[in-house]
Order: sequence, then structure tokens, then C-alpha cells
Amino acid sequence: MLQYRYRAGGPPTRQTRRHGDADQAWTDYVPAIDRPVLRWPDNARVALWICPNILSYEYMAPADPWLDMWTRMPQPDVLAYGRQDYGNRVGFWRMLEVLDAHNVRCTACVNVEALERHPEICKAAVARDWRYLGHGISNSRFIYGLSEAEERAYYEDMRRRLHALTGVTLQGMGGPGPQSATESTPDVLAALGFRYHADWFHDDQPFPLRVREGRLISLPYALEINDAPFLGAAFDADEFAEAARRQFDRLWVEGADSARVMCLSLHPALIGQPQRVRYLDEMLAYMLSRPGVWQATGDEIADHYYASHFEAVQRWLDARRATT
Amino acid sequence: MNPAAHDWFDWSPIGARASGAWPGGARLAVAFVVAVEYYEMQPPAQAAWPASLPGGFGRGPYPDFRTWSHREYGNRIGVFRVMDALDRHGMRATAAVDAYCARERSVVVDECRRRNWEIAAHGEAVTRLLSSRLGEEDERSQIRAALQAVREAAGGDVAGWLGPEQGESARTPALLAEAGIRYVLDWPNDELPYPMRTPGGPLVSLPMAIDLDDVFAHWHRKLSMARWRQSIADAAERLLADGESRPRALVLCLHPWLVGQPWRISYLEEVLADLRRREGVWFATAGEIAARCGAGDQRSAG
Repeated sequence: MLQYRYRAGGPPTRQTRRHGDADQAWTDYVPAIDRPVLRWPDNARVALWICPNILSYEYMAPADPWLDMWTRMPQPDVLAYGRQDYGNRVGFWRMLEVLDAHNVRCTACVNVEALERHPEICKAAVARDWRYLGHGISNSRFIYGLSEAEERAYYEDMRRRLHALTGVTLQGMGGPGPQSATESTPDVLAALGFRYHADWFHDDQPFPLRVREGRLISLPYALEINDAPFLGAAFDADEFAEAARRQFDRLWVEGADSARVMCLSLHPALIGQPQRVRYLDEMLAYMLSRPGVWQATGDEIADHYYASHFEAVQRWLDARRATT
Repeated sequence: MNPAAHDWFDWSPIGARASGAWPGGARLAVAFVVAVEYYEMQPPAQAAWPASLPGGFGRGPYPDFRTWSHREYGNRIGVFRVMDALDRHGMRATAAVDAYCARERSVVVDECRRRNWEIAAHGEAVTRLLSSRLGEEDERSQIRAALQAVREAAGGDVAGWLGPEQGESARTPALLAEAGIRYVLDWPNDELPYPMRTPGGPLVSLPMAIDLDDVFAHWHRKLSMARWRQSIADAAERLLADGESRPRALVLCLHPWLVGQPWRISYLEEVLADLRRREGVWFATAGEIAARCGAGDQRSAG
């Protein structure tokens, strides 16, 4: 609405992979009705990871060939910029009160620059021993068109800066802005030892991604149970809460047979507004009151998956590939 | 010159039609068309699609993992939820299957066939629109290639066609008829099937209710799911009343990548339960409705 519009006729991005009928190189097609059973610790039905976004936007954003940052008018757009800045100044703190009341351990989706610019927020996250889903350095600078070497340096820089601030080594990544990526992204992440990639929305369970070296899994982040698309359309937080409740109910029922992941993606600029935050309280109260819920960080979910499932699923995929 | 600038059918207001007859004196025929479609991460250079093609937040620069995977959710997860929901009410559907899914997502087609669903054809992929940008031979060969793949997966006759994103050129109905298609779902201009005439032979147009299409309502218009559920209930109520004098058809298109999401599927279940409790409804496949209106004769594929 106010930000992020793909530019018509942007230059082609780097594209060396051609896969004909298989179309894409990173995932195996695994239908819901034919796959290994997934179990969480204590036989939980749903692993719930909660991802508040801590974002950094620029008053004057650099031009990008593929994406228009502030779409309404020539820069600066203080309305659009200010609406985001509100999230860090006000919304975050109101959201945090609710998260604290429910004693949840979050996986903050972070632009590392936001933690650098707002040490108070960084301190709050560190004090709660949160974990982090890397979302790049800034949400107004994207990684389309980077060379593989540039992309590697970008992640190394982000990881080093996050570690310096928090003492935590980043395990997961989702592309800055609207999931910007290159065709090298999964390979580079795996080679650097990242554990999970959160830009894949094709499943309710983690799955191994195909990478050149090392290991990487997709961990379902939230494209739909995400306040940004919801509250950017003609909905408000009561409807978002109802959607989250229904999402949870379905995954909880299905999770009795084979466990599921539910992600709740939050943007403090939106959910932290005074008229909305009580619905976050209701959502969390509902989900956390149910048995069989493993409220975990992305790192914990990935750790469990690697320890208990990855090798078996990879063998299963390899055997399947060999027969088709 | 025909003021509508085409000659595919004789125009008539719905009040002037012969009264259709559904089995058992039903006042309303209801069919579900489930789109089994593939969104290409790397479409061929000549492929085209509408700028509004839904999924993710619109198509971004390659590689758009987000939008590709949002759409792929339908073929991995969502379509099986839609099947379960229909199974629970003993309802069958028409699967509109594109050539990519016919080849690469064949387990979905197998599951449709196991349920005795109808298989219709749905082009090559949702990222390969039929439009007037294509030359006649290119369009003909795309239609034939798609049909061949879907017929092989279906194990036989395929009567129906839904264009990717309902795309047609000014030649499409003729090329479909010529290829042996007997009914087409692209034209949302009526509440009853009607005959088309084409240089390739006759064809029946079976209109779908586009404003109740899940993608049109949820994605493009951003209606709430609760409002969509209410809209379908309101439509059914009015169509059943209208059906006292002249039976109607309600053909609803469902897209598993969207309505098959965990939170959205519960609304579809509520829609089905609501339709199920109404009297005077004939639950049919699209092909069964079209066959009652002249699309029943199987001709050999041209």
C-alpha cells in the first residue's frame, strides 16, 4: 500500500539454473498424504514460534532497480516512514507487555541495523533470551542481483553484527524486505552453516532443501497468519485473531497424527497499536491454554528436526528420487 | 456487425430460456471446480500472465521463493484438505488440471480419480495464459499439448476446459471445439449453460460465479472469509427461489493454495455444510451439468 511495489520492467536477475519440467531446484514435491511422520518433544502436536519483526527503514531509501521502497510520492514519505518508526518507538513496547504476560520466548525477525539503532530494543530482546530470524541488514535495502560472493559477505556481516550485539549466532534467515533472494541463497546459507531458511511457504512442516553442500531446511514462517497482510487489507485485529485461532485449531487437530509448525508473525507497528493489542493477548491466551503446544524458537525447532528427523527424511527423499 | 462483436452464441436474456431440468426436480445444480494448477518459478521466455496473477504479494524478481511456494502449498497440502472436506459430505468435484500437474503432480490426479471426480483440462500452467498475443498455431499446439497430458493422466475422455486465469484469445472456443472439448468454463456471463457455435464445432459454455470464486473474493477483493461464507449462503438462497420457475446452476471455483490454508478450510467446511442442509440442490460435477445442456456427446478428439 505505502511501501514495496515491484517495478515493471526491472532488469533480469542472475539466472543460471534451468530445470525444464522440474522447474525449480530446491524442493522435492511431497504430498501431504505420503510422508514420514513428524514428532515434537513430548509428542506436542504443534510447535508454535512467535516472530515479532524488528525492522529498520530509511528516511531516504536508496533506489533499487527491482523494488520501489516508498510508493506514494518522491522520498521522503514521512507518512510511510513514520508509520514504521512508530513500531519501534511505541508499538514494540506495548506488544512486549503482552508477550511478557504470556511468558513466551520469541524468535525476532530482525534487520540487524534496527538493533544497532535502537539499543533499548536490543537490550529488551537480550534480557529475554530471545532468538533471531535474520531478515538482513535493512528493510529498505534488498539482495536481488547480488553475486554469490557479495551475498556471502552480506550474511557474514549481518551475522557478525548480530553476534556482537546479542552473543547469539544466527541460525535462520529470511530475505530482507519482501523475501528478496537470489538463486544462490539456499546454497550460500547452507555453506555458511545456517540451519534453516524461512522464505518457503509450501508446507506446514520443515523439509530438507536441496543445496550444493551442507544441510538446510525450510521452516514454515507465516505468509497468511501475519498481521502485515491482514491489517494492510480491509481487516482488523479481531479478524486476524479469528484467523489465527482457526489456523491453530486445524493444525492442532492434524498434529495428532503428525506434528505441525505454526508461526505467528507480528509487526509492532501494526499489532502494537492501542486498538489492536488486546487481540494479541486473546490469541496467545487461546493457543497457550491448549495441551500439546510446544512454544519454541526457530532455533529449537530446527535443532529438534536435525537431531530426530533430518537424516531419516533425507534418506526417504533419496530413495523416492531413485524410484521416480 | 453484432454489437457484442463476436458470434460465439445467440444472445438471450435468462427469462427467455427453455426451462432446464435437473434430476429429482432440483431447483439448483451446484458444482465445485477445483483448480489443480502449477505456478512456474521459471516460465519459458514467451509465457505471459496477467499482472494481477495472485499469490504471495504479487510476482517478484526471480527467484520468487515466496510466491512460488505459496502456490505450491495447494498441490502439496491444500488440495487434500479440500478433498477431505468434500468427502465428508459425499460430494464430488471437477478437477481442472493443467498439464504440468498432470505430469508432475500425478498423485493429485490419482486421488481425484479414486474419488470418481471429473477431470477437466486447465492449460499448460497458470503462468501460461492463452491470449490474443499468441499466434493461431501456437495457441492450437498449446491447447493440444495440454489436452494430451491431461487425457493421459485422466485415463480417457476430457470434456471440459478452464483456461489458465480464464484466458482466451478471439479464437479459443473454436480451437477448443476442434480439439474435442465439449464445454468451457471461462465465460462468467450466465446462471445456466448455453450453446456456443464455432468453426470447430459446437461447444457448451458453463458459467462460473466469478464473484464467489475464492481467489476473486478473498484475494482480489480481500473480503473476509466470513463474508464469503455469507455471500455463498445468500446466493444459494436466492438461486433456490429463482429456481422455482427456472432451475439454475451455481458453479464455484476453488483454489487449494488459498482455500486449503489451515485457517481458510474451516470456512469452506461451513459453506459445504450450509449448502448440504438446503433442499432442492443437485450436487453434480461441471461435466454432468453441461451434459444435460448438450455437451454430453463424446466426439473423437480432433
